[in-house]
Parts: sequence; structure tokens; C-alpha cells
Amino acid sequence: MHTQLKELVAKAEESIAACRTPNDILDARAAYLGKKSVLNGLYARLRELAPEERPAFGQLINEARAKIEALLVAQDKEIKNAVRAQQVQQELDLDMPGWMSPLGSLHPVTIVRKKIEAVFMSMGFEVAQGPEIEDEYHNFDALNTPQDHPSRNLADTFYLQNGKLLRTQTSTVQIRVMEKYKPPIKIISPGRCYRNDKPDPSHSPVFQQVEALWVDKGISMSDLKDSLQNFATAMFGADVKSRIRPHFFPFTEPSAEMDISCVSCAGEGCRVCKQSGWLEMGGAGMVDPAVLEMVGIDPEIYSGFAFGLGIERIAMLKYNIGDMRILFENDVRMLRQFRGESL
Amino acid sequence: MKISKNWLSHYLTHDLNDHQLSEALTFSGIEVEAMQVMPRLPEELVSAKVVSADPIEGSDHLKVCRVDANHPDGLIQVVCGAANCHAGMMAVLAQVGAVLGDLTIKKVKLRGVESSGMLCSEREIGLSEEHGGIIELPADTPIGVSANQLFGLPDTVFELEITPNRSDLLGYIGIARDLSANLGLPLKLPEINEITAFAKENLPFKLRIDEPELCPRYIARLFSDVVIGASPLWMQVDLIKSGLRPISNVVDITNFVMLEQGHPLHAFDYDKLLKEEPGDPGPAVIVRRAKPDESFHALNKKDFQLREIDLVVADGQNPSALAGVMGSSGSAISNQTSRIVLESAAFDPSSIRRTSYHHKLTSDSSYRFERHLSPERTLVNSLRATELLIKYAQAKVASELIDHYPVVDTAKYLALRPANFARLIGYPMETEKIKSYLTRLGCEFIQLGAWCNEALDDVAKIQAVTDDQPAALWFKVPQNRVDLVREADLIEELSRLDGYDKIPMKTPPSRIMDHHASRIQDLVARHLVSQGFFEVLNYSFNDPASLQDLGIDPDINTQKLINPQNSNQSIMRVSLLPGLLENIHYNLNHYERDLKLFELARIYPADHETEPLRCTALLTGNIGETHWKYKTKPLDFTIVKGILESLAQLLDLQADEVREYRAPWLMEANSLAWYVGGEAVMMMGLMDAEVCEKFGIDLGTLDQQLWMIDIDVHRLIELTRKSELTFQELPRFPAVYRDLSFLVPESEKWQRISEQVMSVDPELISGVQLLDQYRGKQVPEGYRSLHIRFKLQDQEKTLTEERIEQIVASVIDLLTKQCNIQMR
Repeated sequence: MHTQLKELVAKAEESIAACRTPNDILDARAAYLGKKSVLNGLYARLRELAPEERPAFGQLINEARAKIEALLVAQDKEIKNAVRAQQVQQELDLDMPGWMSPLGSLHPVTIVRKKIEAVFMSMGFEVAQGPEIEDEYHNFDALNTPQDHPSRNLADTFYLQNGKLLRTQTSTVQIRVMEKYKPPIKIISPGRCYRNDKPDPSHSPVFQQVEALWVDKGISMSDLKDSLQNFATAMFGADVKSRIRPHFFPFTEPSAEMDISCVSCAGEGCRVCKQSGWLEMGGAGMVDPAVLEMVGIDPEIYSGFAFGLGIERIAMLKYNIGDMRILFENDVRMLRQFRGESL
Repeated sequence: MKISKNWLSHYLTHDLNDHQLSEALTFSGIEVEAMQVMPRLPEELVSAKVVSADPIEGSDHLKVCRVDANHPDGLIQVVCGAANCHAGMMAVLAQVGAVLGDLTIKKVKLRGVESSGMLCSEREIGLSEEHGGIIELPADTPIGVSANQLFGLPDTVFELEITPNRSDLLGYIGIARDLSANLGLPLKLPEINEITAFAKENLPFKLRIDEPELCPRYIARLFSDVVIGASPLWMQVDLIKSGLRPISNVVDITNFVMLEQGHPLHAFDYDKLLKEEPGDPGPAVIVRRAKPDESFHALNKKDFQLREIDLVVADGQNPSALAGVMGSSGSAISNQTSRIVLESAAFDPSSIRRTSYHHKLTSDSSYRFERHLSPERTLVNSLRATELLIKYAQAKVASELIDHYPVVDTAKYLALRPANFARLIGYPMETEKIKSYLTRLGCEFIQLGAWCNEALDDVAKIQAVTDDQPAALWFKVPQNRVDLVREADLIEELSRLDGYDKIPMKTPPSRIMDHHASRIQDLVARHLVSQGFFEVLNYSFNDPASLQDLGIDPDINTQKLINPQNSNQSIMRVSLLPGLLENIHYNLNHYERDLKLFELARIYPADHETEPLRCTALLTGNIGETHWKYKTKPLDFTIVKGILESLAQLLDLQADEVREYRAPWLMEANSLAWYVGGEAVMMMGLMDAEVCEKFGIDLGTLDQQLWMIDIDVHRLIELTRKSELTFQELPRFPAVYRDLSFLVPESEKWQRISEQVMSVDPELISGVQLLDQYRGKQVPEGYRSLHIRFKLQDQEKTLTEERIEQIVASVIDLLTKQCNIQMR
């Protein structure tokens, strides 16, 4: 029986060393230590021995059992380590590019429009839409534009054969919203506008504008300055200053031009701001009482401000684009640069 | 807190139904947590006298009773199993024919004994959950009185949640007062008179408050000749409906007054109280802190080891009560009691809360005291209980009112600026209305005076109105309203009473912006960007010649400019395609080979009222950039289709059908569209090389394909406007997958094959996947080999192998018949 035990341990050692997978280990454990294993059978055969020999031999079986167990654990660990080592790639050049799914971009003008929308929506403005093909009433008459005003000329405005025209500014949406809704009205209206300008570095016959309008009880120039500064801060950073200076528009009274401090030289004076330190952003003012009356809002009760911004111009300032025509070339080498701004 | 509508109606004149009362409470700020309707009982339920009750032979508990209910046929025989059923008692009998819920009382035989009715428990008549025995009515109840009359039915019990700041609402009168203020209904308070007739004897007694900060007021009154017994039935019923059990007339009266007035009382047995000094003429009540190691055996039979911070009401020697929380068992009213001390006191709320929390001992009393009760209410409380004790316990007053009031709760005066109501609430309220509301709450208008930010305790301190201080209305605040301490509290009361529904909305909800349209437009653009597309912006014009090149008539359905800058910009665009073709041409000329471009913009067809949004895209070259490991491939039909399939998934677009699409600029065989309502919403296809050439794009030389995607965004916005996702419960049983591989004629399309598979058992087959397609060796001409996998899922049980095999066989059978497949 002693010989049998020795042989058994030797055989176990051999076959455990031959194990190559975790499953092999499970099989070996069952074969050598399991219920039906030879080793387990030896316990039953103890009673074949003389009573005084039994404890010593029992001890021997236990030792054999412990030895096989230790071998199994060691081999199992070795196998698992080997599997782990295999899973780690050797000879990997960590610098080589990873695989990316292709990523495109929005157009920079869209990116800036969406940023502007987000800024104003965070201030509680709603985004309103209106037609680009307009009638003279909404584009000129309702905005208090005199009948003989030069902007109504064919040289300035595109007209269609059906008597309509292409809106020259998004203020038309203000009129349409005020016709339909009663104050409080707090909207911006972004969209395409058209003027009969030849394309050059700062002009385009097709361009985008965003117009802001806030009509309620007690709205004043002070609210206009607030909104302008909030917009400038959100768009260009906390250091940017804003100002308004007197101007004239037929549809606002008082009227103003809006400036922000030059984003390129921080107001020091440079090529971008033509040494003035300020950049013109657009027109603004308190909605003319005549305009309010025209849409049936009592100017004695309500007041409101409006301002308009050119989106291309803001995009050019924000991204330091020198020529507006680049925006309409749609060169993917330009578009590719805006991947990081798009989603 | 539970309140019965019938009891409440003693204090409030109203004709509200349950729903209206519930609404009124809710909008008064008192949340109704539950409402329990106690319906009218059948008229067959009457009071009856149990004349005899004899055990039935062979039963351990049943008794045969002969019951007198003034029935014309004489005594009624009823079998009853209740332990408390005994001869001579007054009980409630449900006679034959009565319907109690699901139970109809019939003539039956129990253990061979005839029974013609049922003696009822409280639960059986819906009064409470009590079912330990039958109801025992007071002995003097007349026979034959309707149970509805006896128990005040029908009634409705409201379970209320009182916010912790409103200690004044912890009783029926408080609730009634608030409702009366809210609804403008008359309040009816019970008349309470000081008792002038005294007993012959004036019992000796000593009262002392050692901790005036913790017990600002203590009123004691002694009674003699008290007859302990049951309280009147109406009082018992009122208590039961409010969630308390009747105990004895004295205890019931203290509970009744607590529920009515909202202020707890306690009664001690005078003869169980000890003297402080042996020489004292009578026992003492001393309000003091517990002594070190003092213990206390409470009414609920539990022992407590007291701490020095616990406030106790002691007799001359030992604690007789944990002040405001619970009395001791030793000093409690028993059947032998004939002389009592009635306590009506006020305690410091924090002290009560600390003691109650530490000893994990709460009671109806501690619940009220820890919410802060005014000492001012103790007097009315004591007088009300006195009246009831005299009336219902034959008590004789045996002392003056012994009132110790060391820390006087002075009345507070608060100023209210009407303009501040408008500033905080958003609309103005006239002065008269303000006065009226606050008066109904128990406030008293004093005068106009200068505004002052703090509560005053003396009318004389109110300053005259000056120029630099706005005029304010000064009110005296009722002392039970411990929560009214600032102007803002009064403003809250006014707004609450006038109704929060009166508060105007300043800015109407978003109504101008079409949020959905904006979101869908955004999703489409961002989806394409995430698939590698670049957005382009082109002018809003079309060149008539370009339209002709695409096969579009420039004179039909277009709007033309009078003064275009160039003749090639003379039409408001009806297609985004020419601009994109120019962009492709431009970029190919700049040696960019892999291009994915889209424009999302308005088009301007003449027949359209709005300017519809459109999204068109062109793509050519490889799927992605070249990569050292994962080689890229040229774009093909499957890739382009996948872009639109994932968009449809993103937008939850349910197309009626997906089938071929025709456009003059597309190759017929490779074009596809998603149709809803017969119209294409999303389209795709391979651009005709001949058309491309007209735009200067030579696909042949480049050896590239140019694919087009076109999306009617305007329609997509409308189609997705009402989509609502509903979560599907996750399956509780495992799904099973089965694969099939077969040959199928080329003429059989995948759509039909997958539909056929699903149709075998739409309940069980929850999905079909295409794993592989193979043509070539071993596949005969005109056939392809498909490898599919379908998913079996039973919502109710785990599928058996047998059932699975059955379904697989059915699938094969159906595909063989319908699609001419051959299994491989």
C-alpha cells in the first residue's frame, strides 16, 4: 500500500505538470483528489492494516493529499499567468494611431449661430423663425422705412418676379411675431438675409443675421446693455467690454450702434479693429413707438429693445477668418478645422 | 390626524360633500392623506337587548341568545360566538335581510341551532378594525334604535397630515377655524362658562412649578364624587372615528377635549398622590426635573430610567407623569377613583421632544406638545373639561381654579404693508380684504402705524405713520398661532387663504419657439457630422442650366429673381444638389478624394407655403481615412443605407415601406427610399455618372462612385412630432437563439424572408438576424445561401426543447413552401 501511494504521487506530479488549460486542472483535481480517486479509496482500505499502523499511514495519505493539492494550485496559477501574459500584446508601438470612426464638422457659421442661440436661450429668449421671401410691408413699411428710402432700390434689395422680395434683415420676424403674440415677447430670430452686395472680403449677397427682441412692461435701454454684455461675455470671454453709441435707424428710437472691445488686441488698437480698439457688432435701439402701434401693441404700456448681429462677422472675429468669401467656398480643408467645435 | 366629518360639522356650518371638503383642506395647506367613507348601514341594524345567552352544547364558545329588538314576533333567537356576549347587555343586532358588504344576514342553523340574525362587532359595521367582541351599548340605550342614529352614520373620516409649523391645527376647532377663514363659512364654537357652583368641600392641595422655563403655565382643578363608568355613546363613537379607544368617562373626556381643542389634558387620581411634607394638609403636584436615578413606571406598563433633563410632573415624592408625554400607572384613573386632579398645562416643546425621543415614547399628547402649544389655551381647555366632567362623570368641583402662570405669553403685534403682499405674491390685495381674511383667522386689526420689522408685545409701542416710513396695518396675532411671527408669515396666510390659483403667471410658457423642429434639425445635422460629413453653406440660388442638367424644369414650381447678380443665380433654389455637386467638384480639384458633404437649408418651391427644410448630402471615396491596421474600403450601397437606417433609429421613424426610388440623376438599380404615407421621406442612391460629368466630375477617371442622400427634413419634423416611447417590461425568462442555413432563389428578397419567419409565431419569435450571405462554389446559379438567426422569447415561461423544435420545424416548413428554400 505504501508503494501504491508513492506511485500515485509520482503519477500525479507527472500529469499535473502536463496540464495546459484551466480545464486540465479541473480534470486532474477530479482524478487525484475527487471522491472516486484512488487516494480517496485508500482511506477505506486503512482497515486492512494493523490497528497500530493505521494512524501513521493515515498521516501519509494526508500528506500526499496536501502535496497534490499544492501542485494543482501552483500549476493552475502558472497556467492563468501564461494566459494573462498572452493577452498583453508584446512588441506594441504605443505611438501608432488608434482607429477612429470618421468625424465631420458643422460649418463655422452654423457653429456660431448655434452658440448664439444657446447664449440667448440661456437668457430666456425663444428662437423664432420666419420666411426669407417676404413682402414689402414686413420688410420695410412695418419697420417704419420711408417709401423713398434708398434701401428699397433694386440696387440694394433682391426682388422676385411675383412681387415679393428677399428679406434684407431678420427684423421681419419681429413684426410677424408681434402681430401674432402679445407681450411679453422675448425672442431671437436667426436666419438668412439678402442684400444686393457684390461678394468681397466683408460682404456677401447672402448672409446670416440674428435679431433679438424683448417687449414687456418696463423694458429699457438698460436691459439692452445687459443683454449685449451678457452675449459678448458668453461669446468672447469675461474680459470683453461692450458699449453702445448713438446712431439712426427708422425702426428704433433711440437708436444705437453696438461695439465690443477688440477681441484681437483687447482694445489696444490693431489691424482688425482699424486701430480703434472697438469692433462694430450691429444696430440696436428701443423699438420705435410707431412700430409697436403698427402691430397693435400699446407703447404707453409696453416697451422693448431690438438689436441685430451679423453671424458671419462674429464667426470671422471669433476664428480670425480674414475674408468672408472663404466661408462660401466650402473647402474641406477649412471645414476640417472645425471638428472640435461641432458636436 | 384623523377627523370625522360629522364631528367637524359641529364647529363649521357647511354643505360640502366629501370631495369638496377634501379639496378645501388641500388648498388650505392641510394635506388629505386618506379618506375613509363609512356608509349608511341597513335599517335592519338596531339596538337590541340580549335577554338570555346560554352555551350551546358541544360548542366551546357558541351561545344561543334570545334578543329583544321590539320585533312584532317577539324575541329573536341568535347564535353568537363572542366571548363578551352575556345576558342583559345592550347590543347591535343585524336582523335577517341586512346586507353588510359581502355578507347577507339569513336565517341559518349553527350546530343545529336556528339563528335569525347577528350581533355585530365594530368591524362588522365598519366603525373600526376592532373585532375582539361584540359592541356593548350603554345600558340605558332604548331598544330598536337604528344603528345609523347610534353611530352617527354615514360619515367620512379624513386622515390629515398637519405640517409641523401649525400646532393650531391639532384639533377639530383649529381645522374648523382654518376652513372657516378659507371658505368664509361661519364658525360655531362650543359655549364655555366658568363654573361658579362649588362643592361643599375645598380639597387640600399644593401646586408648585420649579421649572417655569419648561412649564410656563399649569392649571389644576380638583373634583370629588366622580363616578367612573363608560362615557356617553356619542363620545365613544367620536373617539373611535378619530382613532382612539374609549376607556372610561374621565379619560375619554380628557381625550375628547384634546381632540376638540387641540391641547392635551391629563387626569390624576387625587388619592394616589403623595404629600410633599408629612405636615402638609394634602397631596402635591410639583413640576420639576427628574432626580438622578429616578425611575418611572408609565401607563403603558413600561419602566423608564429618567435623566436629570427630563421634565416630570411629580406628586410630593415621585414622578406621576413624564410631563406632556405620559402619566404613571400608579396615579392613573381606575374604577375606584372618586377624586381627581385635572391638569391643563403648557410645556416647552424642545424639552418634550428631547424626552420623547430619548425614551422612544410618543403619545397623542407628546405629538401635540412638541409642536409648541400656547399657554393661553390652557384655561379654555380646563373649563371645557370641567363642564364635561360634571355632566358625564357626576363630578363635583372641589377647588378653585389653581392657575400658576409664571412666564406669561404676551400677545404679539405684527405689521403688514399691503404693498409688500403685491411685491412678494405678484398681485395686489385691497386693505379691506386683508383685514377680513386675517380677522377670520383670529387676528385682530388694531390700527395703522409706522412699519416696523419686528413683532411688538405692546400696543403702545406702535409708532405713528411718518413720511419716511410706509404705513402698515397692525394686527394682534392670536396666541395659538405660534407660527405667525413676521410680516412674511401674514403674507403667506393671505396668499394661502385667497388661493394660490389666484397668483398670476408673469411669463407665459414658451409658445413661439418650435422646440421639436429645432431638435430634429439638430439631430439630423449632428448625426451626419458623427458619420464623417462636413456641412457646407451655399447661396440660396439655383442656376437654371444646372437644374436642366439634373432633369428639373427651371420654369415649373420655381420663384425667379428680377435683379439677380448673375444669370446663374436667378432662381430661388428648389434643390441643394447643384451646390453640393459644385462643392464636390471644387474639392476633388484640390486633391481631396474621400468626401462627405451635406447642406441642411431651406428650399423655395413656389407651391409651398413655408420654405421647407431639406438636407442633401453627397459622398464619394472611401468609408474612412486610411489606417495602418484596419484597412478602409470604398463606400457602397450597404454603408450608405446604414447611415439612413441609423438616422431612422435615432429619430424613431417608422417607415411604411422601404423600396426602390427613382430620380433622373440616380442609377435605377441602386436607389432606395423610406416611404411614409406614400411619400419618400429619406432617399438615397448612386449618382448617374453622366449627370456628374455635366458638373465637371469625372467619376470614370477617378474610379469612384458618388452617392447621394436626400432627407425631407420638413416632413421628418412633422412625422416625429408625436412619437412617444413606452418602456417594455424586461423579459423574465431567457431567450433562445436558433440558426438556420439554406439556399434561396435570388428572386426571394430578405424583407419577405424575415417577415415569413416572424409570421410563424409573432408572440414567440422576437427577432430575425441575417448572419451571412454566400454565393459561389456549391451554390447553384440563381441561388444564394443565407445564414439566419432568430430569437425565441416567451413572456410567460421558459421554452421547452420540444416547443423550440416545433417552431424551428414550422419555420423551415413555411420557408420551404413560401420562399422555395432548400436546407443545407
